[in-house]
Amino acid sequence: MTLQQQIRRNRLKSGIVIFGFVLLLGVVAGLIGAVLDLRLGVAALLGSVLYAIFAIGSSRRMVARMTGAQEIGPEQLRPLRRIVENVSIAAGLPVTPEIRIVDDPAPNAFAAGIRPQTSYLGVTTGLLRAMPQRELEAVLGHEISHVRNRDTYLMTMATIFAGVIALIADIGFRMLLYGGGRSRRGGGAVVIVLAVVGLLLAPYAALLLKLSLSRRREFLADAGSAEILNDAEAMALALRRLQLDTTTVAYADASVAHLWVESPTSRVESERRGVLALSSLFDTHPPLEQRIAALEESGGFRLPEQLPADAPFAVELGLT
Amino acid sequence: MLWLWIGLGVLAILVVLVVVGYNRLVRLRNEAGTGWANIDVQLQRRADLIPNLVEAVRGYAAHERGVFEEVTKARSALQRAGTPASAGEANELLTAALGRLFAIAEAYPELRASENFLRLQDELTDTEDKISAARRYYNTTVMHYNTGIQSLPWVLVARPLGFSEKEFFAAEGDVAVPEVAFTPST
Repeated sequence: MTLQQQIRRNRLKSGIVIFGFVLLLGVVAGLIGAVLDLRLGVAALLGSVLYAIFAIGSSRRMVARMTGAQEIGPEQLRPLRRIVENVSIAAGLPVTPEIRIVDDPAPNAFAAGIRPQTSYLGVTTGLLRAMPQRELEAVLGHEISHVRNRDTYLMTMATIFAGVIALIADIGFRMLLYGGGRSRRGGGAVVIVLAVVGLLLAPYAALLLKLSLSRRREFLADAGSAEILNDAEAMALALRRLQLDTTTVAYADASVAHLWVESPTSRVESERRGVLALSSLFDTHPPLEQRIAALEESGGFRLPEQLPADAPFAVELGLT
Repeated sequence: MLWLWIGLGVLAILVVLVVVGYNRLVRLRNEAGTGWANIDVQLQRRADLIPNLVEAVRGYAAHERGVFEEVTKARSALQRAGTPASAGEANELLTAALGRLFAIAEAYPELRASENFLRLQDELTDTEDKISAARRYYNTTVMHYNTGIQSLPWVLVARPLGFSEKEFFAAEGDVAVPEVAFTPST
């Protein structure tokens, strides 16, 4: 599949997902309108659409704040910038994404932005200190694949809608419970029960929709990195290195967890839980073991027991 | 009557298939075109750096005329090259000539310490990396495009419709980066 085909397919998928979210939003607003007050339902719908528009506009800044990513000057970290430039060129991106640094010992990276032109990559100092150049390139290749495939757009939309749906379902639910008979529009007991169940389940439906998307994107981005750099082993090595590392990102916020190259929260735990199929439904990322296996299969290699002991890229950058 | 409708239906399906397939080929061709433009930008940047580099070295090693000539010739061959394959070849020659130039520079400690020279050298290394990155992208797009027009049924009509195969931008010496004994200035 070529780049443009991939992008078109992702755009289509984004459209379907957004449609799914809007439908879900409509159901929630409809339930509120039906059992509480019609005007309330309309207000909830309008309010959430407005909020979504606002959130899309400010998502770039919001992500930076939630991850603690700092801009760097044009002359800083030039070797790193060069790698990003080269990987972007190899990926066929029209522009090189900006780089932002997250001062955090946990090795991780993320991509953010609605369009490739305004996207940026966040890289933790821990990543620079852990990864030798080859593996760092692979991780950046993974993030650049997210930008190239418009995953960042898709996931931003999914996050915003999942958040909005959870919020108004929660408000509706509370009003239904505590609002008493005053605001209730009557209707049979069946309608009320349906509304309660619907409002309770809607946020989970939204979350599951978002997370299943997020996990699929990760496999795609791993494959993208392998294709861009023509080096599936580098990506697998990088993932193995991440697996062996147990630090978690201090700034990690669950609402942006899906952006990172690996789950920034307590990974070890989720890896163990991985056996329980149901709970892994709530993971943002597939288990690293599965991602490594997928790379090994497509690349036709086996990872060595020992990771290469090359000097981390931070040495080249003069970071200590 | 029924057969007429069936015939029309089949015809409509065929038309849709042709339109979709044709548009796909156009898209693939444009992708390869963009890929080539990316390489061209980097080749141009490389060619632009060379006169300055030659001047910088000439200031310290004026009598090494043979190498300067070789580099200049390779540069103009690269600028004249019209096809991806010939550009790839010229680019290789330029890489070899630059390798000799840098080998000569080894013998002049003052040159090696010159800020200007180090900067140019660094930029050239960077450009070479970018050419090879752009080449990877271009060759992938060319592969998809060529496969597209070589597969049935397009292989029968691609040529009359103006789709001809594109050349790869090959560079044998991708791994043989000119050996330079300096520590990178970055």
